Amino acid sequence: MIHFERFKLDNGLTVLFHKDVTTPLAVVNTLYDVGARDESEEKTGFAHLFEHLMFGGSVNIPDFDAPLQMAGGESNAFTSNDITNYYNVLPAKNLETALWLESDRMLSLGFTPKSLEVQRNVVIEEFKQRYLNQPYGDVWLKLRPLAYHVHPYKWATIGKVIKHIEDAKMEDVKAFFHKHYNPANAILCIAGNFEFEHIKTIVTKWYGDIPGRIKPARILPAEPEQEELREEIIERNVPTDAFYYAFKMSERRNEMYYMADVLSDALGRDKSSRLYVSLKKEQKLASEIGAYITGSLDNGLMVISGKLNDGVSFDTFDKALWKELKKLKEHPISDKELARLMIKMHTSKEFQDQGLLNRAMNLCQFELLGDANGINEEHEIYKAIKPIHIQETAIHILKPTNCSILKVKATQNAE
Amino acid sequence: MLNRTISPEVKQIDKIDFIKPQIFDISKDVKLFFMKEVPNETARLDLYFDAGTVNGDAGIASFVNGMLLSGTDEKTSTQINNEIDELGGFFESGVSNENAVITMYSLRDKVLPILKVMTNAIQNLVFHQHEVEELVNDRRQKFKTSMEKVSFIAQRAFQQRLFSESIYGRVTNESDFDSISTDSLKSFFKKNYLNGLTKVVVVGDLTQDEIDEIIDLIGSWASNTTTEFEKNIKNLKGYAHLVKDGAVQTAIRVGRMLFNKTHEDYNDFLILNTIFGDYFGSRLMSNIREDKGYTYGIGTMVAELHNVGYFIIATEVGKDVKDATLTEIQNEITRLQTELVGDDELNLVKNYLMGQLLKSADGPYSMTDLYMSVEPYGLDLDFYNTSIDSLNNITPERIQELAVKYLNWNDMTVVSAG
Repeated sequence: MIHFERFKLDNGLTVLFHKDVTTPLAVVNTLYDVGARDESEEKTGFAHLFEHLMFGGSVNIPDFDAPLQMAGGESNAFTSNDITNYYNVLPAKNLETALWLESDRMLSLGFTPKSLEVQRNVVIEEFKQRYLNQPYGDVWLKLRPLAYHVHPYKWATIGKVIKHIEDAKMEDVKAFFHKHYNPANAILCIAGNFEFEHIKTIVTKWYGDIPGRIKPARILPAEPEQEELREEIIERNVPTDAFYYAFKMSERRNEMYYMADVLSDALGRDKSSRLYVSLKKEQKLASEIGAYITGSLDNGLMVISGKLNDGVSFDTFDKALWKELKKLKEHPISDKELARLMIKMHTSKEFQDQGLLNRAMNLCQFELLGDANGINEEHEIYKAIKPIHIQETAIHILKPTNCSILKVKATQNAE
Repeated sequence: MLNRTISPEVKQIDKIDFIKPQIFDISKDVKLFFMKEVPNETARLDLYFDAGTVNGDAGIASFVNGMLLSGTDEKTSTQINNEIDELGGFFESGVSNENAVITMYSLRDKVLPILKVMTNAIQNLVFHQHEVEELVNDRRQKFKTSMEKVSFIAQRAFQQRLFSESIYGRVTNESDFDSISTDSLKSFFKKNYLNGLTKVVVVGDLTQDEIDEIIDLIGSWASNTTTEFEKNIKNLKGYAHLVKDGAVQTAIRVGRMLFNKTHEDYNDFLILNTIFGDYFGSRLMSNIREDKGYTYGIGTMVAELHNVGYFIIATEVGKDVKDATLTEIQNEITRLQTELVGDDELNLVKNYLMGQLLKSADGPYSMTDLYMSVEPYGLDLDFYNTSIDSLNNITPERIQELAVKYLNWNDMTVVSAG
């Protein structure tokens, strides 16, 4: 059980407090309800570029990191298609330093031209390092637009093309900040050995006078039901053929999400999973294979990916894979198999929950879903899942007309 | 009215509580380290073996490590993995130059059941031919993929030149995958695993009876020999570039042989290392990322081996700015050697490192790791008190002295790939 308290400031900021008496550290985690899905299609990669600019100094403080380091702390952030999350870890006695810094950049950024110019270059190098200069690095740049035709999940967080980042202007940056970075669009979680009343007082002190603005409405185009099998083959200078089968699945706030999560574990989480055992160990078709879900807030993807063994054709693999998927649709999994998946999930959850930072981040994410207490309720939702649910989910999701396949063909294997 | 331009008062960390694990003898030389103070249901068990890459021919150590759960006469690898998964366990294994480690994560009441499955699988390992072939095939594919990455190519060449003549400088080649014989795997396994256990670490709220049972289960593997690791290793100085067609970034590695925690300059050098390249506000990050925008990241570190250590700078930069980056690295070295570090910067780094140490000591898992990172050198947790003393007493002059002594460009091994 992860305890927390909640309060709201007049300007709309939601604040969570999680007490942990065992640690000398404090975590200050801020989730902004903005991600790559909130970008316009002509200016992609912006939420992430903006995350970099948040470290370039705020209206009253020229440098974000140095004062935090002076207080013995450190900071980082990440951007996804759904959210942008900033976190600070520092000695508990210096908590106010983090609140001072985080509240000032919520109030307003410095918007220096130098920061924009440099971070554009840094992000372009990040684009190259992670997506262009790695074998199979551009797979998600290809898979997203194959699976999504309308919804903004069709572009990756880093952006569609480098040009969008090169073209980012200061006026775009300011407009983005004004729209998305305001107290009503943020969830703050403070974790550590503090008293709740003290937290209320100092959060009000640092955040109370930030002007409230309206939480921006999110109206995204819904992805229409997929009605056909989609397939794309790309040739790359890689040593091995690789495959990516992406199936549409439900949005995060849906019980089907949890069923799909368990289904993906049954397919390919561990070395005892169905695809690993059948396609790798027994039939020796793949050298690597796994299955996972993207965990997106809107309709997400369940992905089966891996690499072919040398000499195995995509067609041979494809037939064997669908045969394996069919078994899950025709027969419910055994209670024993389900119990195996559940205990693995339980172990993972226990390990995740022991990190202070993880707890603070997850509380924010559940609050975004509607209630931070979801962190304590999820286990029951998983426990209620029965073999029949997994079968129903398999029937619903694992069909060709719901699937987008990306094949990466090694140049040497191309005909 | 709130004055937002002034930082709240920064309070100093006055003390850090270090907690030592309990120590039990498995044999005369092999010990079990036990951290019981875990306030939840999680547990971790690590088994260390004298089975690093320097102990065998190229590739052998890594192959044997990958085969540990590959099957016995009674059970297939799938059956073994299934049994561990049914107990909710996570199994990991890995190899470094000097040892191999098996790690098991689970809930505390499952530690012994999982360990029983594992010890049975390892004790009766048979190296089925089809499992050997599968692993060789998988590893060959992975190796080919890695060789497409400039970071891997540069790191591999750096390792060859840094350790030059030493066995540490030996790298895996594709041809090594062809010459693996099952007999050589078996003999390495017998010598370095079944008679090669060097230590055990348990983190979790287990009972004394459970600890005794762990010792009974793995006690027969205790090593009774001590590997002599190399002492005198010299890096090959100078520059080498490896061409990688089509790369849009160039990987750079710069470094030299150095010392480990047992050396008198170690703690002070670590402060210099931080200033130079080991935190977000470091000289290299400020210049090469935050001023010039040449890279997504650049960092330095001190890595340690049993008898020696080395210093390394690593980055990936745009292919047009490789030379400019090397020049800026040299400029930053010259600046450290010729100009005294300012008080503000030094104070910031001191506070930052104290915060990092506090974080490294937070919670039973971190605390155990902190202890295990000094234990191989015959040191105790008191080492961290000397680190704190070092932070309290460091001066700009001392930083400069160490930069002059250890950061000469002409002493460096420099490699780029792109």
